[in-house]
Amino acid sequence: MSDKEPSKIKITKPERLFNLTCALLYTREGLTKNQILRSVPGYEGDYVEGGDNSSLERKFERDKGSLLHNGIQLEVTIPPHEDENNQVTVYSIKRESFYWPKNVKFTPRQMALLNLAAEAWAGGSLSTAANRGITKLRAMGAIGEDSDIVGIAPRIQASEPSFRDLNNAISDHQVVTFDYRKPQTGEIKTRTLQPWLLHKVAGQWLVMGFDVDQQDTRNFMLRRIVSKVKSVKTNAPFIPPTKEQIAEAIADLDALGEKQTATIKVEKDSEAWFRYELDLQGNGKSDEVTIHYHDLYVLAEELREYAGQVSVLRPEPLIQLVRAGFEKVANDHV
Amino acid sequence: MSDQLRLDDSDRYNLMLALTGFLVQGDEYEVSELAAQFEVSNEEIVKAVKNIGYTDLIHLNNPDRYVVDYDALEEGYVRISYNLANVVDDVVRLSSRQASALAAGLVYLSSLPGLAESEEIAELQSILSSGDSRGSSPEVIVKPGSKDADLVTIRQAIKLGKAISCDYLNLKGEMRLGRVIEPLRIDLRGELIYLKGWCPETQDVRSFRIDRMRAAQVIDTPISAEALEAEIDDDVYQPGEADTLVTLEVEPEAYSLMSDFRPVEEPESVSEYVKRFKILVGDVRNLGRIVCRFGGAAKVVSPESAKAAVREFALKALGEYSNAAPGDAE
Repeated sequence: MSDKEPSKIKITKPERLFNLTCALLYTREGLTKNQILRSVPGYEGDYVEGGDNSSLERKFERDKGSLLHNGIQLEVTIPPHEDENNQVTVYSIKRESFYWPKNVKFTPRQMALLNLAAEAWAGGSLSTAANRGITKLRAMGAIGEDSDIVGIAPRIQASEPSFRDLNNAISDHQVVTFDYRKPQTGEIKTRTLQPWLLHKVAGQWLVMGFDVDQQDTRNFMLRRIVSKVKSVKTNAPFIPPTKEQIAEAIADLDALGEKQTATIKVEKDSEAWFRYELDLQGNGKSDEVTIHYHDLYVLAEELREYAGQVSVLRPEPLIQLVRAGFEKVANDHV
Repeated sequence: MSDQLRLDDSDRYNLMLALTGFLVQGDEYEVSELAAQFEVSNEEIVKAVKNIGYTDLIHLNNPDRYVVDYDALEEGYVRISYNLANVVDDVVRLSSRQASALAAGLVYLSSLPGLAESEEIAELQSILSSGDSRGSSPEVIVKPGSKDADLVTIRQAIKLGKAISCDYLNLKGEMRLGRVIEPLRIDLRGELIYLKGWCPETQDVRSFRIDRMRAAQVIDTPISAEALEAEIDDDVYQPGEADTLVTLEVEPEAYSLMSDFRPVEEPESVSEYVKRFKILVGDVRNLGRIVCRFGGAAKVVSPESAKAAVREFALKALGEYSNAAPGDAE
């Protein structure tokens, strides 16, 4: 390990990460940071025996992050009695956590569905993650083919800039803060959240999580977030929610949508008549329809679009809200 | 097959992992075959294979390596053998982000009636989470939207290569009975589902909203050669030459307008939250409902004709609200 040639060929980052991965898979008892820097191509050419290797060490720290982002679980072992000393911390990758489970394969139809699922993110917030996932799955050799899955071009629309940052924070169990604008008052407040899940309810993207200030589960509409989503680095990763906690929070939200209703009157044979499927209801007499809603403001938006075709009968706040919106627009366009 | 965007470092590393896991299972592959399988360019495959061959654990006292046949590679073939113990030699797991992006995409697809049964989606999701390196539950949920039997008919027609006839409510609010459309592609766009279809009357590709469609049925007319050769645009709206350039300002609540309409240039920030952008509009009268919807979070800045159209729509709606009865549609 002594007489090394100075490396003449530049080793690219992907090569370095790959060499690091192979080294960490190969090692039985794990490698210390110094062993890695001294022996893995991409570092070893620049390693100075007994000298200052601090920039190499930073490179290694960044590379650890890259491996994690690619879903590789680093096994970090700190020998007993030595907890703070990172010269003796050893790193390795366990085969069980690295490889796709044996005998879990996809049929050509399943692969075709997965291809289409990745395509649904095209140009969107998670397209990179979806494409890299598909690249790995293609290594199983299955080609996505199914005569039933033709002529479909799906696009999930998630244009809110906060979407990707929140999704990353969810994966990393990282507490976040953001400024949130209340539609009632227009008041903007900074919120602190342990984000659990992104979900779409009645056409709106919501982030569900544990509100640290309120000490309760809350949902925030992504389009009402008016700042960048920042992760709170000082906070340790939070303990992810259990399946039961998530199910309970979703049930609460569903119950809310079930409880809140509005009644509207619809012009016969108008576009709204079709939108609310009154032509399919089959009673032929009533031109009134009752709608369930989660958010009065979102419903008011939808109803404003059908101006001239619908009128709100109840509740009163919805009537006011729809009207106030038209008034504001009329005043804004003088 | 080289239509994928440029790969970055993480993509290349990811490709090396995937490619190694794939190559060690077989003997010899054509470069172009691998490029097709992984949907990257031939150059990316060659680069990745060379890089795999440079892997070197000699300083860890492991003289073994991946042996790349460089002569074969020159001729467009990939042959890798390996005697490197305990290194990448199988398919690699997904990261949580990768698994959850695919899982969310699957749920989104289930909004298309008849494409996949919910059990099938659930099974795929559970496979994905077992192959996720942390084995966690999905982090993004996309709830299926509304279902429509007409979609099943349209998908059937696309498979058979036949036209459909249907009743269709156009933008002016008129119901056209028995309209013939040659179906080409179903576009899911957020909550809305469109059919891109060839219209034999106008001889061009049009977007039809499925929720405005009723009583679709497959008819015994094959999809024409012109239709099959027609180019299908990704946009729902195709700008025309007589379009008006309209400048809009939006608050965060109305940012979705920037993705619904393709701005002609990058949106600019007017203040901390307000963005300004320009779009092409065929008929400024259509802006009324689009802008009013947001109740003040979106605003037309210019031209005057567009502002007037929006104002008129709002005032008309207010008049109707004071009468408390639905007025006449156009």
